[in-house]
Amino acid sequence: MIELKNVSKSFTGLQAVDGVSFRTRPGEIFGLIGPNGAGKSTTIRMIMNILAPDSGEILFDGRPIGEKDKERIGYLPEERGLYKKVKVNEVLRYLGSLKTDDRAALQKNIDSWLEKFSLVEWKDKPVEALSKGMSQKVQFIAAVAHDPEIIFFDEPFSGLDPVSSDLLKDSILDLGRQGKTILFSTHIMDHAEKICDQIFLINRGKELLSGSLEEIKARHGRNVVTLEFSGDGRFIRDLPGVEQTMDYPRYCEVQLVEGYSPDLLLKDICGRLSLRKFEVEAPSLHKIFIGMVKDSENLTKGGPHDQAS
Amino acid sequence: MTRLLKVARQEFRMTAANKAFVIITLLGPFLLLAVTVLPTLLAQREDGIREGTSVAVVGLEDNHWTALKEAAGAAGLSLRQGNPGDAEALKEEVRQGHLNGLLLLPENYLEADSFPYYSETGTDIALSQTLEGLTARIITAERMAREGLDPSIIENLSRPPRFRVLKASSGDAEEGQDFLSIMLTCIAFMMLIYMTVLLYGQMIGRSVIKEKSSKTVEIILSSVTPGDMMFGKLLGIGLAGIIQYTFWITLALALSRLILPGLGVETTISGVTPSNMAYLGLFFVLAYFLYSGCYAAIGSGAEDEQHMGQLGMPLLLFLIVPMVMISSIVMNPGSPFTVGLSFFPMTAPLVMLMRIIIAPPPWWQILLSIILIAVTTLLVVAAAARIFRVGILMTGKRHTLKEMLRWMRYGEKR
Repeated sequence: MIELKNVSKSFTGLQAVDGVSFRTRPGEIFGLIGPNGAGKSTTIRMIMNILAPDSGEILFDGRPIGEKDKERIGYLPEERGLYKKVKVNEVLRYLGSLKTDDRAALQKNIDSWLEKFSLVEWKDKPVEALSKGMSQKVQFIAAVAHDPEIIFFDEPFSGLDPVSSDLLKDSILDLGRQGKTILFSTHIMDHAEKICDQIFLINRGKELLSGSLEEIKARHGRNVVTLEFSGDGRFIRDLPGVEQTMDYPRYCEVQLVEGYSPDLLLKDICGRLSLRKFEVEAPSLHKIFIGMVKDSENLTKGGPHDQAS
Repeated sequence: MTRLLKVARQEFRMTAANKAFVIITLLGPFLLLAVTVLPTLLAQREDGIREGTSVAVVGLEDNHWTALKEAAGAAGLSLRQGNPGDAEALKEEVRQGHLNGLLLLPENYLEADSFPYYSETGTDIALSQTLEGLTARIITAERMAREGLDPSIIENLSRPPRFRVLKASSGDAEEGQDFLSIMLTCIAFMMLIYMTVLLYGQMIGRSVIKEKSSKTVEIILSSVTPGDMMFGKLLGIGLAGIIQYTFWITLALALSRLILPGLGVETTISGVTPSNMAYLGLFFVLAYFLYSGCYAAIGSGAEDEQHMGQLGMPLLLFLIVPMVMISSIVMNPGSPFTVGLSFFPMTAPLVMLMRIIIAPPPWWQILLSIILIAVTTLLVVAAAARIFRVGILMTGKRHTLKEMLRWMRYGEKR
């Protein structure tokens, strides 16, 4: 389990991370989400002990992280690269060997991952021969080949085509199902929404909101139902629990009173209209995020983002 | 196996399993040969005259001609007497390359201060000087005889006594090394250390920069500490260097001890003794770690190779100073300045090695010098790791040496 307590880090004149606290639980996919320059990578680098925090504590199973703990962690950094002249298998074996001494198991894992990503024929080719997407997959394998309990993925999908992106997403979900603790950062809300159990939204080094995806959506969703029907729907605005309606030529948006269940509304209109569509509009994380960032921006009235991530 | 050794093994693999490395390893001995043996060969060639060299002499009186021809024959030079009328034709022969030279004596040559000698190339100094010496002797002897003096007595009287230089540390029995031999050994050893230290130092610096520019550094640092990574690099690449060195030195020793004497080439480099070679190896290792550590530190803070070159200029200076000072060091190895340089860590590997070759200093001085170098190396590598830790993630900006020194303090916070 990883726990951050009030962690801060500043670079000359820039507050990159400002009093961040969170904890990840085993077997959970934890999303560290925020725009470019929000402090995601700096946070992960501090957990990895690559950067030292200025203040605050980073605990690993309740104690400060040690060199030995690094063996249990897999890391896919945002700034990726591999030794260009070295063969794919050699690079993977080398990076894996820094984490584990079980060379047989390591090679087995490498082989199965190469198989999964259709990279078997590239095994003995130098890294420089790979395309960008392929080398990104190799990097992914480097992070997971030693079968770590905890895996950090920093922007794992950046620069991938949709097919590879899906392949990676499935792999991450798979790893989650195997009980690995996964912490991953992204600025693409869509990915976070599909993968994460827990969300930590960060902007300008500060926490904006955190919690499980459902919680967040419940907390920030407008309670809106979209209806499509034929018949006279004017009675809807007078139903209990309805705050207001917006009538459009082809559909109607119903804003419910906070806490009023859409199920009750459905019960009330059932039989009185010929209903073609009834949709509870779930607010996308994207919308919540944009709203939150805009709000906080208005509050701080700061300049353009220039923090190092 | 510790992570440090794993890093070292991989670095060794990436250095040695490389075409450039193999080529340099194979070509190195020729370079070495060029620096050590070639000057000796050239020096030998100077006193000798190629076989079949023939020079025409015009205008010499018969008795002088006989004496000159005899003396020249003893020096391996065949002379041909020509008629004054053939001078032009003989000049043409020299131009064509059929003759190596033409000595044209004027009629009153006993009184003349100089006379013309036509050479095939104009730079054939060995030949012209030999002939000049022989001719001068005959003419001065004739001048003495004409004044009623016995040339053999005068020659005997004017023979200057010479010094027989003995090296005190080698004992009375052993003949001392001559200045040239020591100088050559020092130059050769120095060049060897200078070139390899620079080669490997910059290789390490580049490797550190590559680690940053290829962005592998974060993955590596997620597994090992910056210190392990630095020492791993130094050990791995250093091992490749030592293997290369061993190959070169073995080959050089074999050449100078076995093959060259077999070919009838006498090497006069008496400084190349097994003990000196051992010291060469030792001080190479010390210089290697010291300078590689410095280059690793510079590489950590440098933006690219060009930037590293700029930051590395002061380092180069430390290597060049002993090279510039070489003759004064060889002539005066005990001067306070030289002794000081042999303790100052940056120049110590080169200067102490030279002192050992010239006149071994007391053992404690050698030991002190080694300890000073080793301690400095450890400090430098630790500093390199710190600079690396901070400099690593700061790409895109060129940093000054001053900033990097500040990073060393940052790096303490771990």
